[in-house]
Amino acid sequence: MDFPTTLREIHAPPDVESVTADFEFTNRSGKPVDIAKYDPTCSCISVQIENGKLHYAPGESGLVRAQFKMGNLSGVVDKMVALWLDKDPEEKPSVALTVRVHIPILVSLEPKTLKWEVNGKGEPQTIHITMHHDKPIRVVSVTASSDSFKHELKTIEEGKSYDLIVTPVDIKTMCLGIFRIETDCQIKRHQIQQVFATIRRSSPGDAVAKP
Amino acid sequence: MKPWRQLAVIAACAVAAALGTYVLKGPPGRLFQCDPVSLKPDEVCLDRIPKDANVLWVDARSRAHWKKDGVEKSVLWNLDETEDMQAFEGALALAIQEIAEKSGTPPRVIVYCGDENCGVSRQVAKRIRELDQELKVSVLRGGWRALNEAGRTRKSHGSL
Repeated sequence: MDFPTTLREIHAPPDVESVTADFEFTNRSGKPVDIAKYDPTCSCISVQIENGKLHYAPGESGLVRAQFKMGNLSGVVDKMVALWLDKDPEEKPSVALTVRVHIPILVSLEPKTLKWEVNGKGEPQTIHITMHHDKPIRVVSVTASSDSFKHELKTIEEGKSYDLIVTPVDIKTMCLGIFRIETDCQIKRHQIQQVFATIRRSSPGDAVAKP
Repeated sequence: MKPWRQLAVIAACAVAAALGTYVLKGPPGRLFQCDPVSLKPDEVCLDRIPKDANVLWVDARSRAHWKKDGVEKSVLWNLDETEDMQAFEGALALAIQEIAEKSGTPPRVIVYCGDENCGVSRQVAKRIRELDQELKVSVLRGGWRALNEAGRTRKSHGSL
């Protein structure tokens, strides 16, 4: 079975709930081929084979349509569809199709985590919040999970850009703070954002052998 | 008994035993082999991770699979559209903090999915790196299959 492409890249508009990717194919094997089964590998993808046809004579063409529901996802997401032809072994389907969806990030947070070292300098640090939409997105509220950090929201440009300034109250013990940033974005999956503040001892543990 | 008869009886017994084993236990399984030479830069073989290593396991399979037979104390982070990505971020951050407070340093994070072909674990690992938590994040070659064969999942412990 010949697929001209096994990867479809889709740049989704910010407000759509689902996107569709078509994969055309032709049986160029010189013998009849059956699509024995297909597996979308995720509940977020529904797969249809054109006209429900699973048997293809030599030279016949067909189409696999994958519909991807984006749910709460954002950023770049790859989803696979596996096709088993004839007597493919269970662990090795002949065809792997990939739907790569670019879901716009309307609210970017840089950095996602602020870090302080235990007994270091407890100076204020800033998370830059930037909106990437044709309509203004305003920050409505910021709530913190912990009293161990003070925070202040500064408007740089209403509906476009904000700074969240965070200062640890006590730098002597390890601590995690989670900040929930609520916006008035009309698109639900972008409404609430989350950033982190941590006070830790230095560098990650590397208590495992090197590969 | 003549030698050729003895040989025939022994061969018949051996064949019967082999058939019985095949019927009762199925065809011979091939254990997953991790070849360090073919590892991608972000991958790791399970035999390089001691059981008591300072590691947070991240299960990139479905919630149902994670609940059924994930690694003990692992956290869930998949790319199912019905899941809450921010809840995954929060749970991971809390687990890292908990381990860091106990052991003094943050753990290494290793993501696994169903098998070596699943591909979700690499996407999840990228999202974890994007949290900017200065963690060492790797993908387990062989995924859950390698863990299960090594007796390091809830299923292989028999404690479902």
